[in-house]
Amino acid sequence: MDVNTMTYASQDLWTWWLAVYLYTGGLGAATLSVTFLTDMYLKPHRNLVLWGAGAGVVLLSLGSMMLFGHLLHHLAAIHVLNPLVFILKPDAWIAWGTQFIIWMMVWGVLYALPYARETPLLRRLPLVGKVLDWGLVVKISGAVQRFRKFVGWLAVVNGVGVAVYTGLLLQSFPAVALWANPGVPLLFTVSAFSTALAFLLLIMYTVIKDAADEKIRVLYERIDLVLISAELVILFSFFFYLKRGSESAMRSWELLFTDFGWLIGFIGFGLIVPFFLELKGVVKGWTSHVPIITASVLVLMGGYLLRHYFMYAGVYAYPW
Amino acid sequence: MTHYAMVIDLNTCVGCNACMAACALENQSPVWDEHKWRTYVHDKEIGVGSDVHRRFFPRLCNHCDNPPCMSVCPTGATYKKANGIVMVNPDWCMGCGACALACPYHARIPITYGDVAQGREFYGSDYRRSSPSMDKCSFCDHRVEKGLKPACVETCVGSSRQFGNLDDPNDPVTRMVASGVARPLMPHIGTRPNVFYIDDLKWRG
Repeated sequence: MDVNTMTYASQDLWTWWLAVYLYTGGLGAATLSVTFLTDMYLKPHRNLVLWGAGAGVVLLSLGSMMLFGHLLHHLAAIHVLNPLVFILKPDAWIAWGTQFIIWMMVWGVLYALPYARETPLLRRLPLVGKVLDWGLVVKISGAVQRFRKFVGWLAVVNGVGVAVYTGLLLQSFPAVALWANPGVPLLFTVSAFSTALAFLLLIMYTVIKDAADEKIRVLYERIDLVLISAELVILFSFFFYLKRGSESAMRSWELLFTDFGWLIGFIGFGLIVPFFLELKGVVKGWTSHVPIITASVLVLMGGYLLRHYFMYAGVYAYPW
Repeated sequence: MTHYAMVIDLNTCVGCNACMAACALENQSPVWDEHKWRTYVHDKEIGVGSDVHRRFFPRLCNHCDNPPCMSVCPTGATYKKANGIVMVNPDWCMGCGACALACPYHARIPITYGDVAQGREFYGSDYRRSSPSMDKCSFCDHRVEKGLKPACVETCVGSSRQFGNLDDPNDPVTRMVASGVARPLMPHIGTRPNVFYIDDLKWRG
């Protein structure tokens, strides 16, 4: 309808807490996927798998609690936990996302189980130690070792599903130009894996600290460099898509590209500074680990800022 | 077959808000929060200096044929009846709010535990709601089933709101839509709404 009064508004229903859900979901899922792939195809690595599975479960739980806490009717969530939701609502991304999250955690814990049974620290924990010695757990652990790659791939597929879902969720809202485009799942997936690699680099340089992991760390730095580059290219295309787009798009452009938090906080410190820090590391190397640790922290911060600003900058154009 | 639709004539809406009141009481809306009414009449002043025009714009759920609120709903709580009315089953709705973000017409309303408790006090023993949900207009489905018009249409003093069946070629609503004088909001989004507006000719000159 051709009306002369339009109202432009951003929403206040899904705010910072949804950004946390999207961030921890993408980060946790991608961390789990990267560590399992590393363990399956690069080098068996108990510590990395335990960190990947642990981070995956903790971060996904944290994000899911954010969403669950903000539901209006908590008991009705049972309908989306039902695995048959795929048949009942195959067109709803939250239904897919919830199942991906659940099964990623299940397969993730199973994949890490044999390593957990070999870990003295876990075996010394009061309750965990006993559970790890249960007959059923020992049998499951043995079965997982026999079908290690199959279980690993089930976890990885669900993990990638979670990372992509975080973008598909926003893409399914047609009224907002910033969200309803195929660039969003791409951007969020790339960002999820970039933040996951940053998180793992941080863990490997500050907690695991094993000199034998140098090849893995260098590979992670190289992949992260490529992912940050890809993210910058996607953002470059978003810049022009929004600037030359519909009124909703232009209003989103104004909110994003005139905001120092987005420009300096996210693009500057969250992408460009880590890009150059990692580029120097890849091309000439660093004598200290501090620059890569700094880059990792900045990438992790930027990952949250991306989602935070995306939630607040979605603009609706109402014809009244 | 029946395919319900509404036409709203912006030329005859006088902004009395009787539709809001009728809807709120008929559907037991949280009247204590103006952001939670199923239908709302926006009141705007357009123009500058002495050339100012007051404009009223009623809005409600557009009962789309391709409703994005239904496709994003993860539990299936939002569904579409064969007669075209988009409904919500509050028992199935977990209130995630995805429907509110998907709706281009700002038609989904969060009803909280607090609203349900206050509703029990305000409406007394007649209160029908038992759980929170993302609420919306139902075209007064319970009235339509009995052959009555939606409460907002029934009460509209200027006959601004008209309700009809698009599958009946002789229905005045069908004729207004077919002629193009009544048009949907934001058709480019692809929602295929079933609420149509006759433009404010006085303002548009």
